[in-house]
Amino acid sequence: MIIKLEKIRVQTRKAEEAIDITPQVDEVVSKTGVKQGLVNVMTCHTSSGLLVTEGIPCLEEDILTHFSRLFPEDENYHHHRYLDYDGRLGFNAETHLKSILGGISCSFPIEDGKIVRGSRQTIYFMEYDGPLLRTYMVQVLGE
Amino acid sequence: MRIDFHTHPVLIQEMVDKYPNYARMARNVFQIGNNFQPLETFHLQMDVAGIDRAVLLPIDCERARGDAVSSNEQVADLCSISNRFIGFASVDPLKEGAAKELEQAVKKMGLKGLKLDPALQDFELRDSKVYDLYEAAAGLNIPVLVHTGMSWAPSTLIERGHPMLLEEAIARFQKLNFVLAHWGWPWVWEATALALKYPNVYLDTSCLYYDSPREFFQFVFSKQIPTTLLERSLRNRMLFGSNYPRVEIKNMVYALGTLELTEGCLKKVFEENPGRLLGLK
Repeated sequence: MIIKLEKIRVQTRKAEEAIDITPQVDEVVSKTGVKQGLVNVMTCHTSSGLLVTEGIPCLEEDILTHFSRLFPEDENYHHHRYLDYDGRLGFNAETHLKSILGGISCSFPIEDGKIVRGSRQTIYFMEYDGPLLRTYMVQVLGE
Repeated sequence: MRIDFHTHPVLIQEMVDKYPNYARMARNVFQIGNNFQPLETFHLQMDVAGIDRAVLLPIDCERARGDAVSSNEQVADLCSISNRFIGFASVDPLKEGAAKELEQAVKKMGLKGLKLDPALQDFELRDSKVYDLYEAAAGLNIPVLVHTGMSWAPSTLIERGHPMLLEEAIARFQKLNFVLAHWGWPWVWEATALALKYPNVYLDTSCLYYDSPREFFQFVFSKQIPTTLLERSLRNRMLFGSNYPRVEIKNMVYALGTLELTEGCLKKVFEENPGRLLGLK
């Protein structure tokens, strides 16, 4: 049994954006040499996300637009207060809620050393509170 | 050119690697818990907020807290790396040779103003030694930005930053421009009164202590202080300041934009007033 964990950094460049990380995940799987198994991808942050959808710009825009409609910046959130452990105010409740709704991880089977996914499935790192240097984890389990 | 007049370079990864006490001071004294980020993130935060240049503020609190929260050297270092930064100096008014140190920071390091924080630096604003420093700043023709109002930092007294403690100095040093940071909150009317009376007083908008930036601005700069007062009487004395990284610059820009200020007024706040104060062409 092989278990490999890799942490990958991504510099986001906008307040919100969807970044296609499918090639990076493919590469990690390929490097491990695992032929049969499972890969799990997870963001390390609570104001970003990980999701899978068709990889086209119009959908990227729709996801971000409609998440913002569901969780507007100006709603009455309890999180809008001083957080002493952070030394600053937490006024980004909507970014956490987007992260919860869109999810923070995804899993795919590995067969013959490659990820098995639908032809249109693309893995996205979702930035909801950027720009920031972010980290996501890719763990491969198998043999 | 749009300027953010109030930022703290306390979370820059490159500085953690270069200066041994940098991270400890950010965590233990400045009390900020966010992750350290590469310098590139600072620039990107400015980009998404539509800000061209940022004033970097150090705090020399070595006597009171063991070291500086960003030193003059670190600020000058960052200014040498990026021309989007405008560095201020900080010296301890109670330290022997403070005026000389300020002169060197301005003339040799190229720093453009003086930052003082009576709470973190642990001094009284009416101490005669502070007046010596004002004299030096006036001679160097640089502005003085003073932390006024609330201080979150532990082991500090909020009352140290009461804006009215500055009135005597403001009246005495008429050629020295004073920036009252954080609009003096919670003493916003006192800070406003000083700006109304004295032509050498400026107020920065880095003011956020509860709720979201929009909610806070809507209350303080609309219900508490009428927006008309800002537009009509203080349009030449307001400076945009974010207090990044205690708050992201984009959120403060957005909050200011929700007030009913004219484009002409906002242009003064973001561009003309800071440009004039810093002697930028």
